[in-house]
Amino acid sequence: MRLDFVRIFVDSTTDLFQEVVGPVATVNSLSVKASPVAGRDVLTIIGLVGESEGRVIFDMDLFTAVQLAGCMLGEPSPGMTPLVRSSIAELASMAIGQAISKINDNGIQLSMSPPIVITGTNLVSYDKCFETLVAPITTAYGEVRMNITIQDLN
Amino acid sequence: MQRLEERSNGSDVPLTCLIVDDSAFARLHLKRLIDSIENVLASEAANGNEAITEYRRLKPDFVLMDIIMPGLEGVETVKRICQSDPGARVIMVSSLSHRDKVAEAMAAGAKYFIPKPVTTVELRKAIDSVLGSAKN
Repeated sequence: MRLDFVRIFVDSTTDLFQEVVGPVATVNSLSVKASPVAGRDVLTIIGLVGESEGRVIFDMDLFTAVQLAGCMLGEPSPGMTPLVRSSIAELASMAIGQAISKINDNGIQLSMSPPIVITGTNLVSYDKCFETLVAPITTAYGEVRMNITIQDLN
Repeated sequence: MQRLEERSNGSDVPLTCLIVDDSAFARLHLKRLIDSIENVLASEAANGNEAITEYRRLKPDFVLMDIIMPGLEGVETVKRICQSDPGARVIMVSSLSHRDKVAEAMAAGAKYFIPKPVTTVELRKAIDSVLGSAKN
């Protein structure tokens, strides 16, 4: 696990959330799990490739997703519309994009895939079990859990 | 070409802009920012191939282009647009702001780079900058 990268992902996401969906987003606690903790209604997945590989999964309730998107759009949304999905994807993309730019600035080649948003109930990741750092971020609209898995290829 | 401030003092012909981003939210956000600028008309494309088709059809005065897109990604799309129109004015818009990525976009033909999230001030500055560049 590249804990140095994890810190950059968490800090960039917190900064971006504060800028875009304020008023405050804080990380209460970080924990290491054997696999991603993602059982809420809305998952946003971004793959990481390059000198290291892994993924970031943002996990949140439907209510939180709709409210966050409403804040970004400047108007309330009736539910999980395509525009809400796009807003949530863009929020994740901006956060991880900024983190990757900082990592690239340290001379590490790392890139990201376009985000994928999955919605449903009781979503569970059956992916290969990789050590995952879980960072809950508290926003004004509810908690967003970041699941970060990243390791060097060799 | 006249800059935005000069245009608002009398030019009747609107500027045209093509917004290229796979994200519907990002396109809406940029469209709203563009709409807040007087006398600029925006069209949209949701991917690289659509952007190339729309660019040929519309010949916009400038393009706002995302980098990370499924399929034909932004830098390659810029390369193809600039090959067909070396005077194309392309502003890259991305959360990926690493200098190598910016340099790659510029080498492909982009004239300016704005990091996401985009503000009106940054957008106006970028448009003024590319309008000041010559179009062949």
